Formats: sequence, C-alpha cells, structure tokens
Amino acid sequence: MNFDFSAEQYMFQDSVRAYLADAWSVARLRRLMEGDGFDATLWHGLTDLGLLSILVPEEHGGMGLSFVDLALVFEECGRALVPGPAVETMIATDVLARFGTQEQKAALLPGIATGRIKVVPAVVEADGGSDPAEVETIASDAAGGWVLNGRKILVPYAGLADKLLVSARFGATAALGLALVDPTRAGLTLRPQALFDPSSRACEVIFDNVAIGSEDVVGAAPIAASVDRVVDAGAMAAAAQMTGIAARMLDLAVDYAAQRVQFGRPIGSFQAIKHRCADMMVQVETSRTAAYYAAWALSCDAPEAVQAVSMAKAYCGDAARFVCNEALQIHGGVGFAWDLDLHFYLRRAKTLEYSFGDASAHRERVLSAALAAREAA
Amino acid sequence: MDFNFSPEDDAFRHEARAWISASLPEGWGRTVHEPEDETERYMSRLGWEKKLFHGGWAGIAWPKEYGGRGATLVEQAILAEELARAGAPEGLNIIGHNLTAPTLMHNGTEAQRRRFLPKILSSEEVWCQGFSEPNAGSDLAAVRTTAVRDGDHFVVNGQKTWTSFAQYAQWCFMLVRTDTEAPKHKGISFLLVDMSTPGITVRPLRQISGESEFNETFFHDVRVPCENLVGGLNEGWKIAMTTLAHERGPEDALGRQIRFKRELGRLLDVAKTQKRGKRAAIDDPALRQKIASSVIEVELMRLNCLRSFSKMLQGKPLGPESSFQKLYWSHMAQRMYETALETLGPAAALGAGDPATPARGMFQTGFLQSRAFTIYSGTSEIQRNIIAERVLGMPK
Ligand SMILES: Cc1cc2nc3c(=O)[nH]c(=O)nc-3n(C[C@H](O)[C@H](O)[C@H](O)COP(=O)(O)OP(=O)(O)OC[C@H]3O[C@@H](n4cnc5c(N)ncnc54)[C@H](O)[C@@H]3O)c2cc1C
Repeated sequence: MNFDFSAEQYMFQDSVRAYLADAWSVARLRRLMEGDGFDATLWHGLTDLGLLSILVPEEHGGMGLSFVDLALVFEECGRALVPGPAVETMIATDVLARFGTQEQKAALLPGIATGRIKVVPAVVEADGGSDPAEVETIASDAAGGWVLNGRKILVPYAGLADKLLVSARFGATAALGLALVDPTRAGLTLRPQALFDPSSRACEVIFDNVAIGSEDVVGAAPIAASVDRVVDAGAMAAAAQMTGIAARMLDLAVDYAAQRVQFGRPIGSFQAIKHRCADMMVQVETSRTAAYYAAWALSCDAPEAVQAVSMAKAYCGDAARFVCNEALQIHGGVGFAWDLDLHFYLRRAKTLEYSFGDASAHRERVLSAALAAREAA
Repeated sequence: MDFNFSPEDDAFRHEARAWISASLPEGWGRTVHEPEDETERYMSRLGWEKKLFHGGWAGIAWPKEYGGRGATLVEQAILAEELARAGAPEGLNIIGHNLTAPTLMHNGTEAQRRRFLPKILSSEEVWCQGFSEPNAGSDLAAVRTTAVRDGDHFVVNGQKTWTSFAQYAQWCFMLVRTDTEAPKHKGISFLLVDMSTPGITVRPLRQISGESEFNETFFHDVRVPCENLVGGLNEGWKIAMTTLAHERGPEDALGRQIRFKRELGRLLDVAKTQKRGKRAAIDDPALRQKIASSVIEVELMRLNCLRSFSKMLQGKPLGPESSFQKLYWSHMAQRMYETALETLGPAAALGAGDPATPARGMFQTGFLQSRAFTIYSGTSEIQRNIIAERVLGMPK
C-alpha cells in the first residue's frame, strides 16, 4: 500500500512542466482561436517527451506504462491548458490497447506512439445526456460488415483525427460497441461547432449510411465494456485536468493577491481573501487525492474502479467550479477582462466539467454502488 | 502507487477482523448499542479501549520498547478500516493516545516516556488537555495560568476551560505561564499534572448536545514536581505546536473516519426505510444527490489520510499542511449530519428519547456534536489563517 508516486513519476512530471513552461503559454493558446486549432510544434514536443507512447505497449513501440504514470501528466496538461487531441488520443490508446484486435493494434499503436496517428472518441450525442449507454447511433448488419447511421456532437478535433472511436448499437441485439471510423469515409459529414472554449475544436459528425467492415469494430465484435472504458478513462482524465486547472487558478489568485494593493495594503492580507484561498487549497488537495486514486483504480481494474472514477469526476468537477469562480472574483474587474488569461482556464474547466458525465450523474453512480454494497454486506 | 496489500498486510487484516468480531458483543450495532447514559457510555468506551490493549491492538504503531507492535502506518490504516467496518466504539483516552503519547515521544525525557507511555497504552491512565482558558482560546499564547517554581516543585494557579474528559482523567497536560515578563510565546511551559493533586476542582459544563464532555478546571496552589516539565522551561509553545499538529493530523482523522463511516452506513439504511409520502427517502432525487456527496466526501477523507500517511512513510514531516485535513473533515462531517437530518424529514424534530426516533436519535446527537468540529482543535478560521499564511505564503 503506497499512495504516492515514484521518484521517476515525479521527475517525468517535472520535465513535462518544464517543457510546457518553456514552450507553451496562454499567449500561444490564443493563436489557436484562428485556423485549425492545431499547434504542430507543441504536438512534436509532447511526442518527443514520450507522452503519446506511455500507454502504448512495448511490443508496439511504446513504453507499456499505465494511467498511474499519466495522472500527473494529465494534471500538467490541465495546468498548462494543453490543447487536444493529446489527452483524447491517450484515452483512445488505452481502449485500443485493451480491446483492439492484434491487427488494429499493429495498425494504429506504433503510429500513435510516434505522434503520426491521432484517434479521438466520438461518444456524445445531442439527446444522450451523461449515460454512455444512451446511444442512438446504429450499426446495422450488412454484407461483410456494418452500416452506420447517426449523429455525434462535440467530437474533439474530428477534422484532423485519423480515426474516430464511435460508440454505436450493433445489429439486431443492439449490442454496444465501438467502431473505428476514418473521418474521410463516404457518407460521413463533419460540421465544425462553435465552442464555449474557443481555443479548442470539435465537430458535429453525421453518419449517413457509412459502410464499415468487421475489422473496423474494436475487438472485431462489439464489446460493451470498451464503451464504458472510454467514458471512465475520459472522466478520470478530465478530473485530473480539472485538478491541474484548479491548482493553477489558485496559484494565480494567491500571486495576484500578494501584488494588488488597495487601502494601502496587499489584498492578500485581508482575511476574506486569505480564507477563500485556504478553502480553495483544501479542495485542490482533495481533488488530487480523488484524481490520483481514480487513475490507480483504472490502471489495475480495481473492483472499486467505477466508484473511484465517479468520485473523482464529481468531486473534482465541483472543486474546479468553486476554485475557478473564486479565483476570478479575487482578481476583481481585471478578472473579467478578455485580455487576462483567466477565462481560458475557466472555459476549459467548464467544458471538462460537463464532459464524460457531469457531477450529478457521477454522484448517482456512486450512490447506487454504495447502496448495493450495503445490501451485500 | 499501489493500493494492493501485501500478503503480510492481508494476514494482518484477517487477524484484526477475526479479533474484532470475536471481541464485540453479539449483535453489536444491530441489537446491542452503546449505553444511553453518558457516564456509562464513557465507561463502556474505556472498557473497549482496555480490551483492545489486552488483545494487543492498542498503539500498534508505537515502538516495541514502549509496548507497541512497531506496526507500519499501513497496518494502522488497516486496523482503522476494520474497526470502521465493524462499527466499533470510540475510546475514552483519545487525548492520551493521540496527543500525549506523540508529544512525549518527540519531546519527553526517557524517564517521562517510561513513566507515562505504558499506562496510556493500557488506558489505565486517561488524559485531558489543559490548553484553553476563558481568555485564551484561538489566541492560545495568551494563557494566564501561572506556574511558579518552589524548590523541586511548580505551584500552579489559574483556570482552564472546555477541558474535555477532565472528570474521567487521571492526568492533564497543560500550558502554563512561567515567565510573565517575556513576550507571550516565550514565557510558556508544558506541564504534566496529576489530576488527584490537592487544589484541582473540575466542574462539568453542559454542552449543546446535552452531554457534559467538557469542564471548567480550576487550579489553586497545585504542586507539580519539576520532573513533570516537558522540554525546557519557557519552551512550551514549540511543544504545543507538535501536539496541535497531531491533533489536526491524519492519524486523528483516520480514527474519526471510523465513526463517520459507521454513521453514514446507518444513514443509508435509514434513507431506505424512512418514508416520504409513498416513497422511501432514498428515492427522492434531490436527497440522493446530497447523500451521494457524503458517500464521496467520507471516502475522500480516508484517502486524504492515506496520502498523508504515504508522505510520512517516506519520512516527510507533518507540517502546517496537516491543517487541510482538519478543515476538510470538519466541514464535510457537518454537511453529512445536515443531510442526515434532512433524510429524517419531520422526524428530525424528535428527541433521542422518543420511541419513534429513527436510529435512536443518533443523527440529532451527531448533528449537535458536529457543530463543535469546526471549533475545537483550532477553529476553521484559525486553520484558514495557518493555511493562507504558512502554506500559501500570503501576506500577514
Ligand atoms: C467540544 C469542545 C471540546 C473542547 N475540548 C478542549 C480540550 O479538551 N482542551 C482545551 O484546551 N480546549 C478544548 N476546547 C476549546 C477549543 O480549543 C476552543 O474553543 C477554540 O480554540 C476556540 O477558542 P474560543 O472558544 O475561546 O473562541 P474564540 O477564540 O474567542 O473565537 C470566537 C470566534 O472568533 C474567531 N476568531 C478568533 N480569532 C480569530 C482570528 N485571528 N481570525 C479570524 N477569526 C478569529 C473564531 O474562529 C471563532 O469563530 C474544546 C472546545 C469544544 C467546543
């Protein structure tokens, strides 16, 4: 039993943080509001650091490590507002490594490890709410494969992804599974969506009789657990990123409060401000506890993994909401200015808060599990 | 990072679980409960604590030379989890175990350790904490109770207040002023006082819960041998800070988590049986969300402790950041009891004595008790000051 990271894991965090401090900034992020939203230099830098190969098994040219090795990295990605589809591709990597066929892994994982291939989840539907099982996209039986019909929204960076991981119900049994679909396939339309976070990109994706082969189904035949895994991994990664954002917002608030003078003294010497920062610190630290535990639980398929993930998504979501809002408040008028960076953190955190199930949905999952456990005891 | 337990840890857990279930009365927590009467309840807790000692489960993480098992922090956490699972009672000598013992291990002389630690372990000697005074609460360094040297004794005069368990305690550790001229932090000493010494009067004070856990304690020409001074003369403040770090730290929190887990389990049961019109309280979606929050927050309390434990295991010292634990659990526990009363609905208005009160009034009492969580061991405002100034480095 050890609830701490290893020296190597902390060193890796340090190198990611140092790289991002040097090579990335909100100023550069702002440039992504124009164009395709992709920064090739950053992508190569992250690839060189090895981020995208961490989850790729060694036999496919990666490091064969786990989410525990990525928890601190996700936190740094949140902290520095690293744009997609880096984290998204890491989530897809985990799912492919677990559920993909040998051919799928051989075709995609080596390219992911070198940064050549990007894969993103396409699991959100307009009427789907937070439950991954509420899927209306249909894969109907067809000769030698399937035909996809349906509509996904908020598919991150669909325009520049090589493959989409599309959740669908397959055939007469309506079995849940994931399809690997090339976004250039015939019958597939992308519509870039206007986003709350203008530094990122996502599309609505419409599938109109898109033909796919059985080799395009993750695991060859639909596997419901693969859909759950995308959502759980996505929720955990979102929790860790929100933790990083909250930690950064707390730092910004504390720094600003030390500099800003009103009534002849730094506002940070006012107890109302100090106490707010202390409450923010409690929530940031507890977010870390929750997010790290979820990363560990998923990495080893612990029996309590689903609860751990839901605890983290719910707690970290509420905490990020509180910390971001209070950090803005502590900045006063300048906190409301477009030119100050705060709103980029706020917007990213808010987007993550509602991705892969919101806090209420995850609380419900925790409670159901707790009641079942009590029943069994 | 690894939450899996080694085979040795699993064996330890087995041993603990078996012992606990054999040692608690048959039907514990279902048909058999703690006594209603307060004094009887404390005595039964003392009995349980002594049973733990005789079974070899007291102070397991203490060094072997002082009667512990030299258990790892992990084993300590496992024992806490197993006690929680069984819904075991709390102890009475919590202050002795959690505050006096670590303070003496860090700052006591070898003679003091040999004299006091074994009887803390066995709970033959129960301890109380004489820090607060009528005019020294949050501003603890303002203590006025004096101790004046007279040969090989100190003579203590003054008043302490809110002294928990003083009426059951054989010993008290206290802060006394030994230099009235020096700046307030520099004239304080840390004394160990035998509660049977002539000149000590203990007057129980009634608390909002109706219980009388805390007391006013008066000292009139109380003679305390000089060998009961801990640390140097006028060095008491530094020692008090070690004591407070333990009072607010993860080991204390892990113990409390036992109680919160147990009561949360009962809350889930009550939510299923308590009706809201035609449906059970647990089927009210708004209430479900709040109960779920408590399930999450209580579990994160345990995990926060384990994260601090892992730091301690690597020899990183407990600093002011231990304040975050106390600030976290005190507020989350208050939310839990608010939700518990909401679960009871109109029945929240019943007193503990009414036969229709769900869970024997546990939640009404718990709610009232929980109001103290953000006051004792340093109020939340003081914890926030400490975090802001010493952890976040904000300006004074
Ligand atoms: C159930 C219970 C058991 C206790 N047991 C013990 C015991 O065994 N031994 C013992 O020594 N003491 C004990 N105490 C006393 C406890 O430690 C004190 O009550 C506590 O430290 C607060 O002191 P006070 O009551 O004098 O309140 P005050 O210090 O007068 O505080 C009143 C209010 O002012 C606020 N305040 C004070 N200073 C500041 C500041 N600088 N900034 C912002 N706000 C401030 C406080 O947060 C509080 O809200 C116990 C208390 C309770 C409730």
